[in-house]
Amino acid sequence: MIKSLLATTALLASATMSFAGDLSTMSWDDIVTQAKEEGEVTWYVWYLRDDFRRAVQVFEEEYGISVTIPEGTAAGNSEKMLAERDRETGDIDVLAWGTDGFATVDLAPLFSSLSVLPADDGRVVELAGFDGGEHVVAFWGNQTGIAYDPAHVSADNLPQTPDDFAAFWAENPGKFGFNYENGGSGPSFYQNTLRVVADIDFSNGEVTDERLAAIQPGIDFFNEHAENYVVTASNADSIIRASDGELWMVPAWEDHLAGLQNRGEVREEIKFYIPEMGMNGGGNGVAIPLNAPNPAAAAVFVNWLTSPETQSMFNKDFGTAPMNTAADDSFALVPNEQRAFRQVWGAQPFRGEVEASFIDNVILER
Amino acid sequence: MTVQRVNKILLIALLSVCAIWLIIPFTMAVLWSLVDPSEPWTADKVLPPVMSLFRWTDMWENSSLKSALIASYTLAPSAAVLSLLLALPTAFALGRISFPGRELAKMLCLLPLVVPPFITAIFFTSLLFQIGLSSWRPGAILFAHSVLFMPFAIRILTVSFEQVRQDHIDAARDLGASHWARFKVAYFPALKPGIFATLLIVFIQSIEEFAIAFIVGSPDVVTIPTLLYSALGQDYVRPNAAVLSLILVVPNVLLMLILERLLRSANPTLSSGKG
Amino acid sequence: MKLRRGLLIIGLLTPGLGLILALIGTVVYIAVSQSFGYYSLNGTSEFSTEFWSKMAGRKAFKRSIQYSIYIGVFSAIFSVALAYPLAIWLRKPFAGSNFIGAVLKAPLLVHGLVAAFLFINVISYHGILNQFMQWLGIWSEPRRLQNDPNAYGVLILQTWKNMPFALLLLTGAVQSISDDVLDAARDLGAGTWDRFRRIIAPLTVSGMQAAMVIIFIGAVADFSFQVIAGPTNKQSLSQLMVSFKGRGDWHSAAVVGVSLMMIALVGSAILAVVARMVMRGRIK
Repeated sequence: MIKSLLATTALLASATMSFAGDLSTMSWDDIVTQAKEEGEVTWYVWYLRDDFRRAVQVFEEEYGISVTIPEGTAAGNSEKMLAERDRETGDIDVLAWGTDGFATVDLAPLFSSLSVLPADDGRVVELAGFDGGEHVVAFWGNQTGIAYDPAHVSADNLPQTPDDFAAFWAENPGKFGFNYENGGSGPSFYQNTLRVVADIDFSNGEVTDERLAAIQPGIDFFNEHAENYVVTASNADSIIRASDGELWMVPAWEDHLAGLQNRGEVREEIKFYIPEMGMNGGGNGVAIPLNAPNPAAAAVFVNWLTSPETQSMFNKDFGTAPMNTAADDSFALVPNEQRAFRQVWGAQPFRGEVEASFIDNVILER
Repeated sequence: MTVQRVNKILLIALLSVCAIWLIIPFTMAVLWSLVDPSEPWTADKVLPPVMSLFRWTDMWENSSLKSALIASYTLAPSAAVLSLLLALPTAFALGRISFPGRELAKMLCLLPLVVPPFITAIFFTSLLFQIGLSSWRPGAILFAHSVLFMPFAIRILTVSFEQVRQDHIDAARDLGASHWARFKVAYFPALKPGIFATLLIVFIQSIEEFAIAFIVGSPDVVTIPTLLYSALGQDYVRPNAAVLSLILVVPNVLLMLILERLLRSANPTLSSGKG
Repeated sequence: MKLRRGLLIIGLLTPGLGLILALIGTVVYIAVSQSFGYYSLNGTSEFSTEFWSKMAGRKAFKRSIQYSIYIGVFSAIFSVALAYPLAIWLRKPFAGSNFIGAVLKAPLLVHGLVAAFLFINVISYHGILNQFMQWLGIWSEPRRLQNDPNAYGVLILQTWKNMPFALLLLTGAVQSISDDVLDAARDLGAGTWDRFRRIIAPLTVSGMQAAMVIIFIGAVADFSFQVIAGPTNKQSLSQLMVSFKGRGDWHSAAVVGVSLMMIALVGSAILAVVARMVMRGRIK
């Protein structure tokens, strides 16, 4: 009897706890107090974990909340989030995911509202063609461009338009490579080339046979020059083959390239630029799963992560584009005049159909 | 040509193949593990430009490697044994009793191997959470691996049970042997290679499995593949992967030697002898 | 008596097959439902055959099926074909046979991902193989061997990783053939080949089938070797599935997944039957 009573009270307690998890009725000061009581936060982030472990020490000192960053992968983290969405209490406090990843799921049934965070107009919720609404906020802005080996390619004469690239391919067959999957750098390159060559409006997500037929000039462009470029296996494969000297020019993510150079995996000499024809920016957001074990600490952490100070620090340490308009952006890996060539990922579902068509008509025809 | 000569020639031929089969990959792994972070090893150089043990010490001191080794090398052997035990009755039925639908049953046993990985990762683990296994993470991983890799155990042991010779069983029975004695004399010798193969295969599958062990185990229980997938993921660092894989080979070899020693004593060719 | 026998069989099957059906059967059910529009992660869950009909019309889907079957069948055949002679050779222990057995089994102990990265390293543009061939003067300039369009790289990796498994199963099977039978055959004047096809093959056919089936199922669903070492102008079914998942098209991903499941099951059944016919057909 006593046992079952205890069990009931325990249940009730956990129910009230989960009400306490509903932070929307609390003031920010109360949330911070609760966060300190929770004392810990687990952040699932799929890249640069070693660096982030160092970076979050500032947060740990400021709030006395310890941050755990578990090992893992992008697919692993997101699949874990989906697998445990029906658990009462999960393991993930804060999930970092590419905006492309967040776009593959319905946000409201999975993540808490971030409206509990103190107002800050500088935060970025719309990024790279994705709108996080009140559930996802951006914390990492990055950019695709072209990595090149200055030993073979002159910095004064870099290809800027599809025709320039075609000329480079013809002059140096087999020295330019891009991936069509396993990372967004190659897709950014071919989609922007398609956009310029076939004059496509990617901001419109509507799919019609007519619109899909209109990309044909771009498809022809790639097929005409098929002999002269290489298709690589992934983002990392492209960069490593450029570092090995096999390829002279490859699309890449600026932060990915910098990270691999810092780890002694890729030669320091490899340089990066954004062509005038434009290539896509990208980004990562964070969200708090509805069943986060430490919801208040998670909110405080997200607030810190997206603050102008932290974003300025990321800009300084990693060269990323700050995801708070009030942050300092003077330390970018590429000059800000090149940043102007930044493009936004195409709207879905049109972009998905273009990708499928590119694979059918260019990749599988090689 | 005598048998010895044939063996000698084959041995030499095989050793040269082994060079390609093993020596090159392992030498490459060793070299990669020695690459110092100060200068990358690009493919146009025969040896890494700067070599040090930095990656080894760094990996050993600054990662969850030690706890991951303990977790993986406790989980995988346990999963192998549990899988074996769960599979034995089914394999016995499939191997020694003929009944209608046996071929279908054999095929259904393969199901865990053919389910798409992302479905297993999201929905199978979700099922594990629902049946309440999440409170004991190692237990959940153990159970999941035993079920997922049971097809190997069932298929292999079915073959072994088929190879048990009826005349041995009959002889043992005619001599009045008890159930246990009959098993020991007639079944066990024929089953031994199958048991060895099962334990080894399930062990290896379990120690290589990433998605489920990660989803169920993280953040408390970290296994080796989690570290490996991290090292070969976005921050693709080949030297770290080489260090990890070399560290893994050592306990694997030891375990295999122990298993072989345990199961070798009775070679079925010899023990089934002049039957 | 019949009832008792039936109960006995069910009792025996419960901890193994029963557990599989209860747990994995549920998951298979979810996969199939998802391919028909249920279990949606981004939209409403409702019955629809649209995902199947659309998929059937896709060129990439048909190509992937062909390609995955190609990889599955040849990986299984190569692994088994290579393992057979080795198993027969190692049947009776001789000096060094343990060592050879251990060396041959070593690839089992190397994680597939690591194997793939080492392989890429060896065959890369400036890798050791290219340098060696140039040093010998056979090739005048480096050749691009990575991601070769015929998927030889994937087949080599699959065989490297799976041959030991086939060897393990076949060694067990070959060793259980007693010497008298082989001796008797020899006394009757049967040559090596005759002994293989009349005695060894029929007595080891179930071990061989098990190896074939398991290797086929693994290779037909290959993802990690394909994305690292596979041709970049072909997609395996697993790769196609992941690309749909990445675009948020979970239902199409499930369609590919369920197709893969059916191909694996039906394919392995066909492979088993054909293998049996090839092995047994000869002795009749």
